[in-house]
Amino acid sequence: MLVIVTLVMQGIGEVKENLSTTQMLKGILDGCLLAIIKDKEVYGYELAEKLESYGFHSFSEGTIYPLLMRMQKEELVTTTLKKSTAGPRRKYYSLTPKGEAELEMFIERWNYLQTNVNRVLRHESDSEHLKGDETDE
Amino acid sequence: MNSELKLSDKSREFLDHLRVYLFSSGKHSDEIEEIVEELEVHLFEAEKNGKPIEKIIGKSPKEYMEMVSNEMATDYRSWIKTISLIVFGSFSFTIFSDLMKGNLSYSVLEIVGHLVIGAVFIAAIATGFKYISATNLSIKKQGLLVTAIMILPIALFVGLIYANRAIDTPVIHFGTTASMIIGGITALFIIGASFWAKTWILLIVVALLTLPDFLLGLTPLTHEAQLMISPWITFGGIGLYLWLSLSWSRKNGK
Repeated sequence: MLVIVTLVMQGIGEVKENLSTTQMLKGILDGCLLAIIKDKEVYGYELAEKLESYGFHSFSEGTIYPLLMRMQKEELVTTTLKKSTAGPRRKYYSLTPKGEAELEMFIERWNYLQTNVNRVLRHESDSEHLKGDETDE
Repeated sequence: MNSELKLSDKSREFLDHLRVYLFSSGKHSDEIEEIVEELEVHLFEAEKNGKPIEKIIGKSPKEYMEMVSNEMATDYRSWIKTISLIVFGSFSFTIFSDLMKGNLSYSVLEIVGHLVIGAVFIAAIATGFKYISATNLSIKKQGLLVTAIMILPIALFVGLIYANRAIDTPVIHFGTTASMIIGGITALFIIGASFWAKTWILLIVVALLTLPDFLLGLTPLTHEAQLMISPWITFGGIGLYLWLSLSWSRKNGK
């Protein structure tokens, strides 16, 4: 398990002092949020629902907001306020060019990770080090 | 802002607590309103679909508040604004009422004590309100804590007065000119701070605390009559100001 966690953390480039599963999940959630937003302009609740519909059931829906706030600060997403028929104003998120580039990078990292993790799980050897060096591929 | 959405008490309470928590963490007020409004909409839709609040914010509201807080920049400018208003505001009260009595003279202990009390008070307010909003205290305990925080500076000031009598520290005497200059600087500060903070409360409170005694002293009224009238003017005036500004801000749609 530790091997996988380390690999994931290195791949996502978010090695912090405390490796926890929630942190690991965060980096992945970031990528998923970007991917969903790319498809269609969405607001927070919709985004949470979509994530759940893809099978992420155990997370607290509110966790997406701090992530969205950071992504907005990093100019990966922009927001617009729109009135809904139901009454409340909704904040819609859409991807910036920078966000699209980040998504591309995430997909690359994820594919790389996935391949390596799968290899670990199937005990296949790549004949090279699996230390997470980008040059390994 | 939205007109209030229909939310469960628990959700409403959480949003209120979040607001206080972020405010006492020194975050930008418009950013606070933004995230609170967004979460309000989320909680509203979640409740419509029968989800419990735990599904949104997790088991620990405190942890969630921290998470949100960590993503927000601290608004140092308004922090400094508030702090200098409190510290210099409390200075100006003393300076003006002392000026009405004659030249200024303060011991080193008084000056340092004033600054320390200001700092302690601000720290107590910030941590106290953060603690209250992040933990589930009963209304009684919350009230007790707030009262304790409010009493703290008063107790410290009383302590300072006694300490100042008991301990000898060098006293700085200001002559008439120096006193006038200090008075002028303080007045300028209050006016400047009032413009900056867009509130007249400081100026009005200082004026109401110091002017009645001074002006009444010019009238032929007896000393007793003056003593009786002065607090009425002070508190009546402050009450009137608060009432006026409240009804004014209501009229402006907030």
